[in-house]
Amino acid sequence: MATFELYRRSTIGMCLTETLDEMVQSGTLSPELAIQVLVQFDKSMTEALESQVKSKVSIKGHLHTYRFCDNVWTFILQDALFKNEDSQENVGRVKIVACDSKLLTQ
Amino acid sequence: MATSSTTSTVYIHVIEDVINKVRDEFINNGGPGEGVLSELQAIWEMKMMQAGVICGPIDRSSAPKLAPGAPITPVHDLNVPYEGTEEYETPTAEMLFPPTPLQTPIQTPLPGSVQTPLPGSVQTPLPGSVDNSSMYNIPTGPTSEYPTPASDTGGSTEAKAGRPSPYMQPPSPWMNQRPPLDVNVAYVEGRDEADRGASHQPLTQDFFMMSSGKRKRDDFGAQYNNGGFIPQQDGAGDAPSVALQASQGYGSLGRHDMITNANIEILSHATRQAMRIPQLDGPIPDPYDDVLSTPNIYNYQGVVNEDYNIANTPAPNDLQASTPAVAPQNDAGDDDDDEPLNEDDDDDDDLDDVEQGEDMNTQHLVLAQFDKVTRTKSRWKCTLKDGIMHINNKDILFNKATGEFDF
Repeated sequence: MATFELYRRSTIGMCLTETLDEMVQSGTLSPELAIQVLVQFDKSMTEALESQVKSKVSIKGHLHTYRFCDNVWTFILQDALFKNEDSQENVGRVKIVACDSKLLTQ
Repeated sequence: MATSSTTSTVYIHVIEDVINKVRDEFINNGGPGEGVLSELQAIWEMKMMQAGVICGPIDRSSAPKLAPGAPITPVHDLNVPYEGTEEYETPTAEMLFPPTPLQTPIQTPLPGSVQTPLPGSVQTPLPGSVDNSSMYNIPTGPTSEYPTPASDTGGSTEAKAGRPSPYMQPPSPWMNQRPPLDVNVAYVEGRDEADRGASHQPLTQDFFMMSSGKRKRDDFGAQYNNGGFIPQQDGAGDAPSVALQASQGYGSLGRHDMITNANIEILSHATRQAMRIPQLDGPIPDPYDDVLSTPNIYNYQGVVNEDYNIANTPAPNDLQASTPAVAPQNDAGDDDDDEPLNEDDDDDDDLDDVEQGEDMNTQHLVLAQFDKVTRTKSRWKCTLKDGIMHINNKDILFNKATGEFDF
């Protein structure tokens, strides 16, 4: 199953990466095993998002920058408004990084 | 709240899922064993709790699972210093900053003044981890600490305004304790303290060296013999206004009477202005002494000065390079040693600011997959799915998202 490494940049992914870094540096973990854990995280995170998350969000804002490179869209929004069912958030500047969902299903 | 609890639930599920699925790798094939796996999970979950993205109560349910299997205590021991850099640095800095433990009343104001520079200096060595803490720790714990670095320019005024009055008392014990201190000794000590954390301090001292060189060294010697500590605080406040006050003091009145008053004023000024002034202040002395005769250059320094903070050093270098006369003069100046120090300090500050700024900019992040992205003239529409948003220090997951942007 193909996975994205995209989600490693999320909070949970960064926490895992830091943990693995520390453990590899202290010698308790081999780098190979650390990578295996990260790959498993890619899978688990993707599955969890598909199966466990149902919420919908709408995003509005001024598009400051757009970029499409290597099948990855990057948007930088200014004065963005995020709305979901029960709350909304205003953000002065936000970056959106999105991989092509079709790459996973192939 | 619903979203955050859902996020927490999903995260915990992911952690357990990952741990369960890599268990084979850890136990078989000469892997490091179950203990290391439990350690991994414990550290991971701890970091997540520190980041405030999983809730403590929910995590307790998984805690008993950990307890039998793993050396949890060593895990926490390992990480206490690591995570604790923020929390422990404060007391440490307190211990370091005032050289004597006597001033219990000061310690309340001092941590504040120490904290402001320190987070910056800590961020440099530990970019990854501190990024997280500065970004994420706000919901978790020490909320009070983080607004300080974040709103450095804005909030500092209020924070410092409160400080001076309690801060003014301590100098007298210091003075009494080390009356024999030479000015030079004081500088050395100041340097040490400055190296430990407050990046602005060297500037201060340099400025003082400069001014003392310009004025009568004896005056300063007599004046600051009283307290070796004062000159450091002083320099930052040695903005034009304070300098004027001081110099007027020497001229019109007897030196000794005015001195204490001037010290006090300077101190209070210094504590208020210590953070902001040095950056503006720093570049001026050298050109002032060395290049004063060439007004053009001085204008450059004066006018462009604020831009340096934003644009960093390259611009001034270019400017100076274009006028060949400048470089030799600066090089031939008396204070070669001071010059790089000043500039480095500014650079550091700038970098910190820039880094913080970038952190602020990239702090809000959406990671997702796109189904479709379309554009009609300047109107963009996109549909995203399976996303993780980190916005306003909250993690929000979504299954679908629609975006409408105007370019």
